[in-house]
Amino acid sequence: MSNDGRRKVSRRRFLTETAGAAAALAIVPRSVLGGEGHVSPSETFGGALIGCGGRGGGTFGGLGPNVRRLASCDVKFLGRVDNKETYSDFRRVLERKDIDVVAIATPPHWHPLITIAAMEAGKDVLCEKPLTRFIAEGRAVVEAERRYNRIFQVGTYGRFRDSHNPAKVLTHKIMASGLLKKCQGVHIKKGGLKVRQWSGIVNAKPQPVPKNLDWDMYCGPSPLRPYHPHRTGGTHRGYWDYEGGGMADMGQHHFDPVQWTWAKDDTSAVEIEAHAPPAHPECCAMWGWVELKYADGLTFVMESTEWGKPYDRKQPREISLNDLSEEDQKKVLAMPDPEPLVDFPTAIRTRQRPGGHAEAAHRSAAILHLANIAIRVGRKIRYDPVKEQIIGDDEANRLVNQPMRAPWHL
Amino acid sequence: MEPLEELLKRLVAEMPDPDKRGMYCTDIDAAKIEKAVAEMHKHGRAAIVGLIDMLVEPLQGDDVRPVKAKYALHCLALAVCNLADDKPRHEFSLTLASQLGGNRPKAVQAYLIQELQTAGGKEVAETLGTLLADDVLCEPAARALVAIGDGAVQQLHRALGKAAGKRRLTIIQNLGVLRDATSVAALREAVGDPDADIRLAAGWALANIGDQGAVDLLLRAAKTAKGWERIQMTKACLLLAEKLQAPAKQSATARV
Repeated sequence: MSNDGRRKVSRRRFLTETAGAAAALAIVPRSVLGGEGHVSPSETFGGALIGCGGRGGGTFGGLGPNVRRLASCDVKFLGRVDNKETYSDFRRVLERKDIDVVAIATPPHWHPLITIAAMEAGKDVLCEKPLTRFIAEGRAVVEAERRYNRIFQVGTYGRFRDSHNPAKVLTHKIMASGLLKKCQGVHIKKGGLKVRQWSGIVNAKPQPVPKNLDWDMYCGPSPLRPYHPHRTGGTHRGYWDYEGGGMADMGQHHFDPVQWTWAKDDTSAVEIEAHAPPAHPECCAMWGWVELKYADGLTFVMESTEWGKPYDRKQPREISLNDLSEEDQKKVLAMPDPEPLVDFPTAIRTRQRPGGHAEAAHRSAAILHLANIAIRVGRKIRYDPVKEQIIGDDEANRLVNQPMRAPWHL
Repeated sequence: MEPLEELLKRLVAEMPDPDKRGMYCTDIDAAKIEKAVAEMHKHGRAAIVGLIDMLVEPLQGDDVRPVKAKYALHCLALAVCNLADDKPRHEFSLTLASQLGGNRPKAVQAYLIQELQTAGGKEVAETLGTLLADDVLCEPAARALVAIGDGAVQQLHRALGKAAGKRRLTIIQNLGVLRDATSVAALREAVGDPDADIRLAAGWALANIGDQGAVDLLLRAAKTAKGWERIQMTKACLLLAEKLQAPAKQSATARV
């Protein structure tokens, strides 16, 4: 067993326990013994997929080639559960000691709770984006990652690409140097946020719950609403109960690498303002743009191009060495490039922190949540990135840390 | 002068129509919505009650007026929260609360409670507290109370003694969320409950409160439990140890 307590079969133990080394050499296939292109048992992990719909297969694939799928779990598996390979209750999966790694591809209202529970049970986790449904969930995931010393990666990978782009690496170094005191950078994401596509049905009439679906478990920590199929199967994205519209669906893909480039993995915006009609209480719907300003002046904007007047306050602006004094330029150029980001399959073998770790994933999800809060309350909000609370606005803070339906809690 | 009922019908009609997919994605005119909501707001309590009278749940038929009234009521909630003066929000909140506990359909009442979660304050804590005794409304009422914060603990604490089943679970969990130290005796007792969900909620609540007297109880529970319950009780022990890190409680931390 490795020194961090994981259940991993060592090559030596495997050979001894397989009726002696000599016999093993005779009967064990080459793939077990290793060699180029082969996976040795010392690097093989037991895996489970929780949430087997649309993204499930792809998310499990992100665990890498060394993870063998031992269990599949989904709330729509009622009637065919054997609690050996097929489950409808993730808690039964997490009880298994032979599962080392969990891929989570449920709707986002379950992401943090299952992530935290899996880490409590000693598993490493790859979780689909968006990491969370509201900000306090993200902090709880970060704390669980630290407390249980597990590997966590969110299922979006743009930062791995951008961290090899020389122009973005330079921006990252300028920002990370702390030498740019007043940042004039403006990053605008225009379109591609699927606002209309991921809206909710405001006049949905309740329908009977399908026999194969555990609806109570589906709703989980969210309010137990009357069933409607549009609340499931991808279109769940249009409801605040489960996600946050196209903003939450596409936003983390876009802003997670942007956040890395601008070296904001450990902080959040301080002023957020939206241009949107009054929000619906349950359904995600139209908005025009949201502007998020960081304490150093950096501005992020998401512009839907699907509603209202265009964003015209600022133009996109990159930063460059020219924004620094000559002396500071030399300091930045002398800085080493950032370490290559570690991918999840490598991280679970080496126990290094992966590139899309919990804090980074939490902060990039918070960008979307803050934008959605500004849309939902219809007023400018000011945010304290350290306390992770909206300043002087009790009602808006209710969306930062939302109550959960028992027995589910952070 | 236009009678209020007719005026409200006209103003509600100004709210957007759901599009072909049933969504608010087409012809959303923010200025028109805001103007109609401002007009409703001028008529105070009577307009709010008039809007509530239009709500029906669950939705039936093709009448869009309840859909629009539901949205209008939420727009009104947002509007009163956006004012510098707290008085309109306070009055809105009290008006909604006055419509709870009576004969309106439970789903309509649940919606009003949801709106109080958005715009309510301590002025409605007591009303929400009485709903903790209602099997259907307990859960949304608890959520609203926890969101509001002010005055919630007293209501949940008071309701705990009479609660059973799912209501008891909801109340125990939320006492833990709010870290109510005055409830520890009842929570310690609940750790021995026959219902596993109650045991887990109580164990977590004691840990989150940082109850020094629960150290042995939680350690024993973690040791004897199996499977999911063992994992969760172990988590409770770790959480308790963290909460006990406060200087006055450090000897108990060492025991955990």
